[in-house]
Amino acid sequence: MNIATMSQTLFYLIEQQPDSGKAVEYLRQQVDAYHQNPQVSSFYRVFTAMPRFVGRKGIDVPADMAFSLQRLRPGFSVAGWTMDRLARVWWLLQLPADEKTIYVNTISELFKAGELNELVALYSALPVLAFPESWRFQATEGIRNNIADVQSAIMLHNPYPADYFDEAAWNQLILKAFFTDKDVTHIIGLDERRNERLAHTLADYAAERRAAGRSLPPHIELLME
Amino acid sequence: MNFMDSIQGMSFFDMHVHMISRTTDDYQAMADAGVVAVIEPAFWMGQPRTGVDSFRDYFATLVGWERFRASQFGIRHYCTIGLNSKEANQEALAEQVMEILPLFIYKEGVVGIGEIGFDDQTPAEDKYYRAQLDLAKEANLPVQIHTPHRDKKQGTSRSMDIAIEHGVEPGMVIVDHNNEETVREVLDRGFWAGFTIYPFTKMGNERMVEIVKQYGPERIMINSAADWGVSDPLAVPKTAALMKQHGISDEAIKLVTFGNAVTAFAQSGQLNLEELLEPLTIDQSQRFNGSSVLRGGQAPRVDKESTIIK
Repeated sequence: MNIATMSQTLFYLIEQQPDSGKAVEYLRQQVDAYHQNPQVSSFYRVFTAMPRFVGRKGIDVPADMAFSLQRLRPGFSVAGWTMDRLARVWWLLQLPADEKTIYVNTISELFKAGELNELVALYSALPVLAFPESWRFQATEGIRNNIADVQSAIMLHNPYPADYFDEAAWNQLILKAFFTDKDVTHIIGLDERRNERLAHTLADYAAERRAAGRSLPPHIELLME
Repeated sequence: MNFMDSIQGMSFFDMHVHMISRTTDDYQAMADAGVVAVIEPAFWMGQPRTGVDSFRDYFATLVGWERFRASQFGIRHYCTIGLNSKEANQEALAEQVMEILPLFIYKEGVVGIGEIGFDDQTPAEDKYYRAQLDLAKEANLPVQIHTPHRDKKQGTSRSMDIAIEHGVEPGMVIVDHNNEETVREVLDRGFWAGFTIYPFTKMGNERMVEIVKQYGPERIMINSAADWGVSDPLAVPKTAALMKQHGISDEAIKLVTFGNAVTAFAQSGQLNLEELLEPLTIDQSQRFNGSSVLRGGQAPRVDKESTIIK
């Protein structure tokens, strides 16, 4: 994936949002200032304070934009996002990716100090960040997270896990999705990544549910065959 | 008479409570008694932390997990972030905490710098109190001041002197844990006066009723400061009930238990009245899960009387 093209496309989408004039002006100023003086503290400040300047309204995604995003990064979708989430993911793409260690450490610090909506944006960004293989462990941390929005950001409509998880991590994602009442049909790669071990684990889980007198989650039978 | 009978339909804002130390039973009871929002000031844990990562995780919990936990009960959770006075005395650690504060103070739901101020009134406490006042000024955030237990009156005056010396407007400062001895000066100098209804050590609520009678409701607000000690997370609704029973007007009660705190902390730009008056509907997608499951957008209610656990 070409990061510069993705960044331009996301910015174009921000510009297309109704009443986004002020937000666009703010983001332009910030990115110019950051390019002139790339301080990590200002990179963090802009990321964190984003909702104060761009708002938290839901975004519109025209069909042609959704298509462009899919072409740039298969499986990547911003449908249902809010403005702050979109702007934060765009902002992450402004971080220079010429030095891997610095890049990964800088973003890892954001994960460490992230509040709920920041974490949602960070996990949503994994499929479009540089050095994608570096985020495998962090992505599994998102699955372990106990906040539903954060879990959804990595589990649902996100192509990163199907592309980069090994079988054990993938199976954990699916199992956790059932445990946390997610609509598993929104998981990207659900069919492609079916495997025997997963079918076996889910069959055990279904038996356990029945023994406890509890109902089975929807669609579980799809993956038990 | 049950205190709940006196406060039907009222909404409360407990502007100082350490929910991280409280159980889900407390959240449920608070929601049932009309508490719709809380502020959790950053404080110590009852024992000293030994590394900066403990502070980082604590701050992250205040803006993350605890905020989410409160929302499960329909309660809006805000916080103030700061280096507390006790731990300001471990200078090497305090320096590191100061370095990570800017990472947190701009986050959503952070309505001020707090609780900061004096404990023993040492030079180190003075140094970090001043540094954090500057930070608050730079970020244009209100300041929540913890006034000391010992040498309280003089420590309270000193806290206000220093705030003014650093160019922080009294209207941006909430001086907390007041009592009969400190309240007059705090109000006369234009600061907000917080009162903590906390059994045995701070204010009792009968005394609080007298203070509201004497000084009126302007710029006064009450809280429970419930924490890991013997304290009462229902202190705000209970005090509202007592005020009502003693003939204080509904309007005055509302200012002291809700409105003034909203006005003071709305200066952060992170909360507003319209938002607070809307019931917090729990987004289906925000359901949390360990082993329990939230259905229909509400926290599951545990029937305390039942022997059966499903």
